[in-house]
Amino acid sequence: MFVLLWIKAVAKLVVVTAPRIRGILGDASTLGGRGLGVGWWRFMRFAELTYRGSRAGLFRFSLFFLLFFSLLVPARAAAQSDPSFDDLVQKAAAARERDDVPQAVELYSEAVRLKPDWPDGWWFLGSLQYEANSYSASQDALTHYVELVPDGGPAWALRGLCEFETGDYTQSLADIERGESLRAASQSRDEKVLRYYEAQLLTRSGRFERALQKYAPLAQGTVRNPELLVGIGLAGLRTPLLPKELRVDKTDLFKAAGHAAFLFMSGNPEGAQREFQELFQHFPAAENAHYFYGSLLFPTDPDAAIIEFNRELEINPSNAAAQLMVAWNFIMRNNAAEALPYATNAISADPAPPGARLALGRALVETGDVKGGIDLLGKESQIEPDSLEIHFALAEAYSKAGRKDDARRERMLCLQIEKNAPRQAASR
Amino acid sequence: MRQGKRLAVSLLPRVLVPGILAVMVCLPVLAQERPSTSALACVRCHAAQATNQPQTPMARAIELPGANPTLKEHPKMNFRRDAYSYTVETAGDKSTYTVTDGTHTVSVPIRLSFGTGGQTWLLERDGKFYDSLVSYYPSISGLDVTMGEEKVVPHTVDEAMGRELGEGEAKACFGCHATHAVTEGKLTLGSMQTGVTCEHCHVGSAAHLLDAIQGEFGSAPPKLGRMKSEDISRFCGQCHRTWETVVRGHFSGEVNVRFQPYRLANSKCFDGADPRISCVACHDPHQDVVRQDSTYDSKCLACHGAATAGTTTAKACPVAKVNCVSCHMPKVNLPGGHMAFTDHEIRVVRAGEGYPD
Repeated sequence: MFVLLWIKAVAKLVVVTAPRIRGILGDASTLGGRGLGVGWWRFMRFAELTYRGSRAGLFRFSLFFLLFFSLLVPARAAAQSDPSFDDLVQKAAAARERDDVPQAVELYSEAVRLKPDWPDGWWFLGSLQYEANSYSASQDALTHYVELVPDGGPAWALRGLCEFETGDYTQSLADIERGESLRAASQSRDEKVLRYYEAQLLTRSGRFERALQKYAPLAQGTVRNPELLVGIGLAGLRTPLLPKELRVDKTDLFKAAGHAAFLFMSGNPEGAQREFQELFQHFPAAENAHYFYGSLLFPTDPDAAIIEFNRELEINPSNAAAQLMVAWNFIMRNNAAEALPYATNAISADPAPPGARLALGRALVETGDVKGGIDLLGKESQIEPDSLEIHFALAEAYSKAGRKDDARRERMLCLQIEKNAPRQAASR
Repeated sequence: MRQGKRLAVSLLPRVLVPGILAVMVCLPVLAQERPSTSALACVRCHAAQATNQPQTPMARAIELPGANPTLKEHPKMNFRRDAYSYTVETAGDKSTYTVTDGTHTVSVPIRLSFGTGGQTWLLERDGKFYDSLVSYYPSISGLDVTMGEEKVVPHTVDEAMGRELGEGEAKACFGCHATHAVTEGKLTLGSMQTGVTCEHCHVGSAAHLLDAIQGEFGSAPPKLGRMKSEDISRFCGQCHRTWETVVRGHFSGEVNVRFQPYRLANSKCFDGADPRISCVACHDPHQDVVRQDSTYDSKCLACHGAATAGTTTAKACPVAKVNCVSCHMPKVNLPGGHMAFTDHEIRVVRAGEGYPD
């Protein structure tokens, strides 16, 4: 009875003195992050219910009271144990808020020296240093942060951007991709920035198709900065360079190709056609130009695309990417025999374009070399275990070989992959 | 002189034979209401196949106005959906599809009918093709919304008439329902033969015909019946949808029951290298489909019966040895289709079990 009365009294005190308590707890909730903020709100709600005589409120208030203060007291005790740290944090936050970046960097550096396991300090330090173009230092701070918070997507992505600036391109791509997988870009603007850098890095690493996929949404807006156009041009003309690495006298070709593709990606195929025709006139020997246009046309107009691929092969007979697309075209038309030489040529290129093994595997299966096809496709499935195309091909190959259990397993895998993929229901 | 004679001989097949062929081809066309040129030309050597094939639903997958028994039997059909009233009227060789909301009216001639039982009409307006929003269904002996278009909510009479077909979709429709309608990836309705003719499946049969007249048989198209079961599924699946096409197209639920190659491949017993289970093991594409359940018992017992030399056997059914398909291949109602399809996913069906996707 006495305890109940005491709790009710505390509740009354809490409600009456709420503004003061809020002021005190404000500091604590800043230290503890959003969790304590939410805790404070609930605490107040249940205190009010208790004060008003609600039994449920009384019970919850008691529970919250115990839990909240059991968490709060050690937190405040820890913070208060080092007054200089607390002071530093406040001063650093104030410097950051008034955009005094050098002062804030200095204070956060001091704070994390005192408390190296304080993740927020490393985050603020890293982001401020990135803002101040101190990329190596920022990279170092963010490395500390991700060691403490391994699922911190934005930090991985920001570290990737630092590495882009310091020229560590391989690691940069890996970090940006990791950041993306951890939902680093929650806002549209951030997503565009990441996509842009990622597309450039994918181009530089030779993953041109993936790079173009990343560039495509950027062409939905009206932004047509020259570097973006050059970037798209580099990916489309399969040139593993960053825009800033391109020789100035080569810029026109890539910019023109990028502009034509930009028009296509933004839903203006007629404009794109005009631009590509001009490109072919000005740069008749440009490697991959016809291939680029063909690859854009392929999903909607495979016949027009195949004309472009064949033109590319007239200019550059050893173009493995064009060989591969011609092979695919024949495979899609159930003419594996015609596909076979093109797929064989494509796979003999160094490096073979992605999908060459798949095309040859399918062509082999469909022309009767089922065992050869299964071997090739099996190897490819180990490299790309989640590729629907490979599992489709393997299902058919196993079925033809009379390995019905293997075929069934592959089909189940296809269904699983499809189930996990974003879908649009069909009706007809 | 000898060279000239040799030249004349070599020209003979090139000039005269096509002429003879043209006469052979045209005579039956003039004589019959529903021409299937290729089948009639092939009948001399392939009588068993070519005589019946023109009567099959596949051969009549497209019907011309005036040659459409369904429209003739139903000279006036009406249907109402929300604010729109539809009328399909046939007078002589002309059929007209009309839709009105009471204020505005659109009336267009039916250009072609797709399908023999249930049928959807191809409409042409201002040089564009449209899929009629309303179709005929034999089970209700009348009109209803075209399957797959149930979710379309028209805002105008034009929209209520039908859905415009893009080039890709038109090519897909004609590619399956007609022959020579798509050439080198382009829609070529000038060369179209209605329905599935010999040349549709046996590519190269026209050249074979020319050669055969001269006693040359080396250019005969490959025998499709010798393909592996998996290849046959893929071949028939070009129109009836392959397993791959159905998965890619996200056709889930009962709606995929009409895609037999997909359903068959999902069967536990399907073996792409075993000729006892394939489309053509049970169906002769040159004949109309047989609807008597007992007809298929021998096909099932080829695996589930007693072992014979060189064959493997599967478990025998403990319940019955007749009418296997009536239990193991149940009929499934096609959503929005007013018809039931035989489910080709061969299985032990258990009471209360849902449709296996």
